Amino acid sequence: MLLEISNLTKHFGGLTAVSGVDLKVDPGEMVGLIGPNGAGKTTVFNLITGFIKPTKGEVKFKGKNIVGQKPHVIANKGIGRTFQLNPLFADFTVLQNVAASFYLHPKSSLISAFLNLPGYQRNEDYINKKAKEILDLLGLTTHQDELAKNLPQGYQKMLGIARALATRPTLLLLDEPLGGMSVGEIEFTMEIIQKIRESGVTILLVEHNMQIMDIVDRIYVISFGHRIATGTIEELRKNNEVIEAYFGAQIIDT
Amino acid sequence: MTEQKGFPTIAKTQAVIYLAVIVVLAILPIFIKSPYTYHIFILTFVYIIATSSLRTLAISGQVSMAHAGFMSIGAYTSAVLARYLGWSPWLSMPVGALATMLVAVLVGFPFSRVRAIYFSMVSLFFGIGILSINSIFGKYTGHINGMIGIPPLFVGSRMQYYFFFLGLMVFCLIILWRFETCRIGICLKAIDQSHEVAASVGISETKFRVLAMGVSCFVVGLAGAAYAHYNMVISYSSFNLIASIDMLVYMLIGGIGSFAGPIIGTAVLFIIPELFRQLKEYTPFLYAGILLLVVFVMPNGLVGLMDQIRDLVKKEK
Repeated sequence: MLLEISNLTKHFGGLTAVSGVDLKVDPGEMVGLIGPNGAGKTTVFNLITGFIKPTKGEVKFKGKNIVGQKPHVIANKGIGRTFQLNPLFADFTVLQNVAASFYLHPKSSLISAFLNLPGYQRNEDYINKKAKEILDLLGLTTHQDELAKNLPQGYQKMLGIARALATRPTLLLLDEPLGGMSVGEIEFTMEIIQKIRESGVTILLVEHNMQIMDIVDRIYVISFGHRIATGTIEELRKNNEVIEAYFGAQIIDT
Repeated sequence: MTEQKGFPTIAKTQAVIYLAVIVVLAILPIFIKSPYTYHIFILTFVYIIATSSLRTLAISGQVSMAHAGFMSIGAYTSAVLARYLGWSPWLSMPVGALATMLVAVLVGFPFSRVRAIYFSMVSLFFGIGILSINSIFGKYTGHINGMIGIPPLFVGSRMQYYFFFLGLMVFCLIILWRFETCRIGICLKAIDQSHEVAASVGISETKFRVLAMGVSCFVVGLAGAAYAHYNMVISYSSFNLIASIDMLVYMLIGGIGSFAGPIIGTAVLFIIPELFRQLKEYTPFLYAGILLLVVFVMPNGLVGLMDQIRDLVKKEK
């Protein structure tokens, strides 16, 4: 078990954003998390990565409870993530975005960085090489010297994935990776996600676009903070509660 | 440009310009006759150090309003050690700088929890508060009248001080330059642009903000300590809020976006009042006017203006 969430609950004042959610991800799996708007999907991501502290519940990563740890510590443990609204290092170029994200591996000591020692230079050369490899894989090479804020929306999303890959995650959390993309970009991105998975990265993703469900192994459905179903896409197609949550009750009646 | 690097290190042309300026400053004393001219140059060097150290925090989005206050820690620590305990100024100066750094790191932890304007506010209160600590020890620091009889660095001429401060400035600027261009600076800039993304790739915001506070305040403390032993008299008025705001103005006018910004801004604003010395009481208005001009016409400061002109010339061709 790579990631094990049990009874995860978060109250914002009187509002219950997430309530008693259980979720398990095995190594090498690709798992989808779906649900209507406001169901609490992004909150679950923020709870896993330490951006929000849960009111109750446990998040175990590689068997250890990581609740209450700071986001950068959790990133250090091997959980990479992208963001739904996709903030960027806006004034860095595309290449700089990725290079700046190579903070964890390889890590230079502050002193060697400050004094520009050979070990630091080697690390930086390696980072530059690797960053370019990532950009190459994600089809961003031609844009590498553009400022991130000047990129079209789809490329910006891609850059978010590139940055997360730079942390060499064991588990990658993708928050709406297809959001705001054109049809061509969606196909390309889905190919990329599959490639990332084949390279051995476990993936948990939130998505509204149902095309992605063709490539995930399992799906969790949440609605109003509760987990209402889990299973493969075939199993969920027959699940009335899921259809009701997504399309309203009338569809089932007719 | 054959090889594209992620983050540019120092460009050859830039290095040549910096070296040329240093060489010119080093041979300039041949032409300087009056002690007053030396005095102006020395003050400019001190403020270039202080303003540049302010920028080291600014690259992570934190604008300190307490830098004159931090400067006073270095100045008073070194002055008290040398005056009352008989330490050599050469030893008390680095100790003063380290004391400033220690204070900065200690307050850095709570201060780093707030960002941007909120940081400016807490640093503003700190900058005012730290001066009242001086008045608690008024017996030694001379209350409001200032502290006199601080042992000098040299007994000789102002020329010695000129070369000492020139060397100190180059030393401090090299420290700040390395700090900013290596990965530490990259992380600080990343935190400025999005602290969430920075955290998601494993960059600890607190660690880097505190580190920047430490280095920035070490440098400004060193400048303050050296200034104390040069002036031999220090008083509150050198380190009050006005002094902090002056630094801020120098930085904004020079251009916050580049390393040369605070250097050029400080140099220009020290030279202009000297050219119009009869009008000295109007300098605050002059500053205000220039600042308004910067805000509306050249948001990237004097350095940005040069870039704009360069772009225009390129287009003409």
